[in-house]
Amino acid sequence: MPITGLGPHGERAASPLSLKLTDSDAADAVKRRFSVAVILHTTGSDWARQQLAGISSTLGQHSAAIVDVVDCAFVAEQQMAALTRLSSEKVDAIISIPIGNSRVAGAHRLVQKAGKKLILLDNTPSGLAAGTDYSCVVSADNFGLGEIAAKLLTSHVAPNQKLGLLSYAVDFLATNEREIAFRKWLSINRPDIAIAQTKFQTLSEVHNVTKGLLEKNENLAGLFVVWDEPAILAAKVLEQLHLSIPMTTIDLGNEAAINMANGGAIKGIGAQRPYDQGKAAATAALLALLGRQLPSWVALPGLAVTQDNVIAAYQMVWHTPAPPELIKVRRR
Amino acid sequence: MALIMYDAVFGDTGLQAQTPERVDAEQQSLALILNLLRRDEASTKLEIERISGLGRAIVSDRVATLAELKLADESEMGVTSGGRTPRNIKFNENTALFLVAHVDQSTIGVGLADLNGKLVFEHHEPSDSVADHQAVLTRVTSLFDWALEQHLGDKAIWGIGLSVDGPVEQNENQFFSSPTLHFLPNWEGARFVESLVAKYSTPVWVRNATQMTTLGELRAGGGRGASDMLFVDLGKEITAGIVCDGRLYRGAQGGAGLIGHISTGEDSLVPCKCGNLGCLEAVAGADAISRSATKAAQTGQSTELAELLSANGELSPSDVATAAIMGDAFSAELLARSGRQIGTTIAALTNAFNPSLIVLGGPWAQQSDILLAAIREAIYRRSHPLVSRDLKIIRSQMSGSATLIGLALSMVDEIFAPYPLARWVKLASPLKHSQIINSIAATKIDVASRARRLVPPAPTAKLAS
Repeated sequence: MPITGLGPHGERAASPLSLKLTDSDAADAVKRRFSVAVILHTTGSDWARQQLAGISSTLGQHSAAIVDVVDCAFVAEQQMAALTRLSSEKVDAIISIPIGNSRVAGAHRLVQKAGKKLILLDNTPSGLAAGTDYSCVVSADNFGLGEIAAKLLTSHVAPNQKLGLLSYAVDFLATNEREIAFRKWLSINRPDIAIAQTKFQTLSEVHNVTKGLLEKNENLAGLFVVWDEPAILAAKVLEQLHLSIPMTTIDLGNEAAINMANGGAIKGIGAQRPYDQGKAAATAALLALLGRQLPSWVALPGLAVTQDNVIAAYQMVWHTPAPPELIKVRRR
Repeated sequence: MALIMYDAVFGDTGLQAQTPERVDAEQQSLALILNLLRRDEASTKLEIERISGLGRAIVSDRVATLAELKLADESEMGVTSGGRTPRNIKFNENTALFLVAHVDQSTIGVGLADLNGKLVFEHHEPSDSVADHQAVLTRVTSLFDWALEQHLGDKAIWGIGLSVDGPVEQNENQFFSSPTLHFLPNWEGARFVESLVAKYSTPVWVRNATQMTTLGELRAGGGRGASDMLFVDLGKEITAGIVCDGRLYRGAQGGAGLIGHISTGEDSLVPCKCGNLGCLEAVAGADAISRSATKAAQTGQSTELAELLSANGELSPSDVATAAIMGDAFSAELLARSGRQIGTTIAALTNAFNPSLIVLGGPWAQQSDILLAAIREAIYRRSHPLVSRDLKIIRSQMSGSATLIGLALSMVDEIFAPYPLARWVKLASPLKHSQIINSIAATKIDVASRARRLVPPAPTAKLAS
């Protein structure tokens, strides 16, 4: 699939295939035994586990060690503290997913100022400049993912209905892009559809926020949730209320995949490729440490997943066989 | 109190006073102090007194007034150097926001900036409906509305900046810089700017995109501190922004920097869109690269390009860059040749202007190291040793953000220029100035009346049979 979005500063996407270590680069990297720290918003999600798997496998192949993995629990202050600490420690590079926007910009700026290399995942805080403040952003095509989610959801929606949109209240580039693209696709292709939106700040709010949305809008014909973890929580609310409303979301997490395969509320997923993204981010870190100039935005295309292709997509995204729950559904 | 009669011109926004407007000493001192705070030249009353030469009582009164107007904030305690702890006084950059948008033939970029010109939000997306000005207007306003819903809160919108490709004439006799935009195909008669004014009840400034990108690079990017700089935009068109003595040079018609139309002296069978033969753009621009690549793909000179052509149906410079990365010798040489031609033209400009810094930006600067290397080599080889001795050539780190930041900074400069600032400062907002109120009201009436004219007449009642 082509990349349909543009980068955080309007860049055209570079392919992850453009991140290549030559044989001499690889030999040089092995010799220098780099150390890399990874800072994630959470380490508890399937997305995060896959990112880490991709990062560690690539770094491991080049004798680079992951010396720290920080779980910020979605708290910006924890991320700022980790960046400040790691900037003064013996770490060659940091791979980080910025939690929020300008609030964490200053702390991210410290990394390259301290002579280390910074690779960003999915998000660029406003004001950071490629090259000076960070070496490269590696992300999914979040704009394309939003379009996939809109397309998959509207195939279940009759004309002139209203959709629910459960979006993230934090100013975060990836979820912003998904929402903007979702709305754009609808405005062009299904202008007959109205949108009722509500936002959540934390996952703990999702249950009540979803209930509130459903109470205010009794006849919702569909629901888009900006990533899989809140989508699963929202799907549970629908179950409790015995409502059958088709949903789409982003990220092929285990629970979301099983929900979809079992004919649950989730009818379609715009899947990222977190394992491949992790590999690309690790390669970018190695290239930056070897002094190579990097494209400022590397993007991986999304994958449209439905019940029909969920097993094949799972294998592509996770690089492992699908779990027995999915296989069982296929054999039914 | 002394009264000063200012000239009719209200900054270079083109705002004209119907009659010369009196600006009194209080307005002058408020404007002076606000600009000291805004530029971080002073942050305490003592510093304001020292720099401005104003007395203590006046400074205290003016700072209190600025705080009441919500243009300054003195709630934060400073650091004492002995004696009473001073209060820090800060310019309140969050009182209002600027909306900014860039529209060109393939992309739309929008942003929100604070009163220091710092972006608080930006979004860029491809656009394939640029020929339809109504579709572009709908898209830009949708994105503006979305951004405002997230960030506006209780702030006001003090202006909209719009940057476009092509020269933008600045007519100082008009409130709006360019009432009708003709910069894109099929945009003749579009009421794009007026529609924005009417919808958001705020002035719109239209500026040339390359010049705004140059301003962004100069003030917030790799050009910080440079007084003589060239920014070269390597995109669908090849244009340049020129900075002389720290100031952006726009030219008599706003067309300075059309370097894509400098003659290379080479014969070209395909005329440039300006009508001449041998222009840099016609010889080494995007269309020329696409044409050569397509021919190579069709005549068997490059299997990589042939594969890309068969997959995509057409070849862009980006495809050529991809083929070069994959090891295609023809593509690498094509990019190198274009780079040498572009570099040779930039070398001539380097000899003419003697910049200390050249920033290479635009989509190609991001995509092809081969092209960039060839440009650099040609500039150093073809320029005079004196001008290339300390010349620095860098790749832009800001991409499209530079344009949006440049637009925001341009509006900041115009609204806070001493004359206009003195005229609106006591009103707390430029939007409360009667001239702006009247201009916006007139534009709204104009847009509404045109909209009414476009509504088809209601069907006449059927005659009784």
